[in-house]
Amino acid sequence: MNRRPAVVADTTSIDEAMKRWEETVRAPSLAVRPETRDEFKTLSGQTVKPLYTPLDLDGIDYLRDIGFPGQFPFTRGRTPNGYRSFKWPHDFYSGYGSGESANQRYRELVKHGATVITLALDLPTQIGLDSTDPLAEGEVGKAGVALASLADAERVLDGVDLARTGLGFVANGIGPYALAIALAVAEKRGLDPADLRHFRIQNDPLKEYTGRNTHIFPVPMAVEMATDVVEYINRNFKDKWLWQWVPQYVCSTQMRWGGMNAAQEVGFMLAHFFNYVDSALARGLPIASVVSKMEWHASTDLDLFEEVAKYRAGRRLFARLMKERYQCDDPEVLGLRVSTWTTGDHLTAQQPLNNLARISMSVLAAFLGGAEHIWAPAYDEALALPTSESTRIANQVKYVIHHECGLENTVDPLAGSYYVEKLTCAIEEEAIGWLNEIDRRGGVAAAVDQGFYQREALRGMHRYQMELETGQRKKVGINLFPAGDELPLNLFQVDPQDEQRQIQRVIELKAKRDGRLVQQRLNELAETAARKVADKRVNTVPAMLAAVRAYATVGEIHAVLRQAFGTFKPPVSL
Amino acid sequence: MNKKRIKVIIAKIGLDGHEMGALLVSRVLADAGMEVIYTGPRQTVPSLVQAALEEDVDVIGLSFLTGSHREHTVKTLQLMKEKGVGLDEVVLVVGGVIPPADVSYLKSLGVDAVFGPGTDTRTITSTILAAVEKKTARHSSLA
Repeated sequence: MNRRPAVVADTTSIDEAMKRWEETVRAPSLAVRPETRDEFKTLSGQTVKPLYTPLDLDGIDYLRDIGFPGQFPFTRGRTPNGYRSFKWPHDFYSGYGSGESANQRYRELVKHGATVITLALDLPTQIGLDSTDPLAEGEVGKAGVALASLADAERVLDGVDLARTGLGFVANGIGPYALAIALAVAEKRGLDPADLRHFRIQNDPLKEYTGRNTHIFPVPMAVEMATDVVEYINRNFKDKWLWQWVPQYVCSTQMRWGGMNAAQEVGFMLAHFFNYVDSALARGLPIASVVSKMEWHASTDLDLFEEVAKYRAGRRLFARLMKERYQCDDPEVLGLRVSTWTTGDHLTAQQPLNNLARISMSVLAAFLGGAEHIWAPAYDEALALPTSESTRIANQVKYVIHHECGLENTVDPLAGSYYVEKLTCAIEEEAIGWLNEIDRRGGVAAAVDQGFYQREALRGMHRYQMELETGQRKKVGINLFPAGDELPLNLFQVDPQDEQRQIQRVIELKAKRDGRLVQQRLNELAETAARKVADKRVNTVPAMLAAVRAYATVGEIHAVLRQAFGTFKPPVSL
Repeated sequence: MNKKRIKVIIAKIGLDGHEMGALLVSRVLADAGMEVIYTGPRQTVPSLVQAALEEDVDVIGLSFLTGSHREHTVKTLQLMKEKGVGLDEVVLVVGGVIPPADVSYLKSLGVDAVFGPGTDTRTITSTILAAVEKKTARHSSLA
């Protein structure tokens, strides 16, 4: 057989050749065409060299550090065959206004093939306040739909067949309530809850203390409440449709958008992930059934190579540390599933259609990083809540890239890139440092109380802003081709009457339900909460479910819990 | 010439907790020599106006992301009026995700400036400085 010689990295000769190249080829060229900037950096601030070569792979062992997809250390992907054996869940995150308007959009989405609908909840609901609460004024139905009680959920999901369409919740402070709502809606329809096609709940309270601030309870109790959901699902629906359910996933999205860098995203994600795993293990749950359902919900920023490296580093580090910390060899546990909400912060309000290019690039990065679920923002999100059209486009970008750009053909195509492999190692190394920093500070809750996350985010955001303002970093529409007159966009607006309608409905509900039964259920919930204060392993879901069935409201339920658990006081550290 | 350090209160009113914009602007104004109080998230209009009165601020900055800027700004202005915190003395600015159509609405209410996403922080600083100077000048000429 006539074989060509393999390309072998003979480092000594490459080193010499490169030095010659520097002197005789690059230097003369630079004399004629100097670099356009003093320093080239990744979006996260890592300095990048002009060229990467096999010399940069020194110390990397293919089998140990890169390996094969679907196998330890999972650098190249969680599954062995990547997008060649893959179908996207057709999933939408949506919700606004009163139950009727959200319901109308959900029905449209299902008609257009949505297989999963993720409910965006309004802020009062996410913080455990009724639509009628004075603090909720101006927020009802704004960032999502109000689910003040089971009655709202019934109306919002009317006509959506939950045996056929999966249901998702972004519920972090109120995980047990969201689970109870889903179960109670199923019951009302005569469905066995285990027959829900798919149930997926973010249930990541730590996200709320480290970037998004939609928190209720002190950190340790918030984690325990989230674990109640994980435990309840694991114990009650075992061997049924559990394989389709996601009771918790760990987000680094908001931290990144708030100003953290790629390595911090990985390091802090791991700290939070391990925190949840420890909490579940303390309930006696088997590690395999807990971790195999969890995933890393990452951001995907615009620096393509850095993002791909981040995904690969995150998977590798997760596998290594899970193995080391939990003495676990199960590939179902060690292979980290990654989903992404690409970029929320680097879209511009200026010349918003340019955002389509940014969205496409971050979706491409997510593909090359091996994400198994990609949500992209709508191009008009820096201006207002997205319209129905911009939501549809955001969803279809990934299909364009998947089917039209050759992305499905081969697994982890950037593996072996000198630059990407080097960057993967650099991010892994820095991420370990951040994880250790959290440990050194006494864990996640302590780091939150010390204002550590807030300071780190502000530091990163300030750095980025100053790079823009000094012109070190260029951004179209901001400091390159800054906007002139804008084309008017058709922006989405919530019907201002929706808030009043929703408030009225909560008042009517309270008048017509069985008030004595509600009080009894709330009293039982209070007893459960008191027991939980004494023993964190007490599960609040059964009492929560009973209260939800009786049409107790989200505000009533969480008032009881606030009474028992207290509330979180955010640090302010300028 | 007013030699007193300009005092600013930056507030997140309502339930939204996206505070990085508010924190960044706070830091930038502090770097520019102003005295900045950042309230932290989930403030109410009464708590803000009370703090603004007690601290005798020159500038109130409100930061919004989730679409509740109209309601909260109206309420803030109402209460400022009731409490005698007049727009002839105090500069009121709003920042965050504000749809273009709402910018003119907020300005028609008397808001001095609206800073949308991507605003250069130097513009924020200079706009606030100019607005404070204008109001101080007018106020002292009336006095």
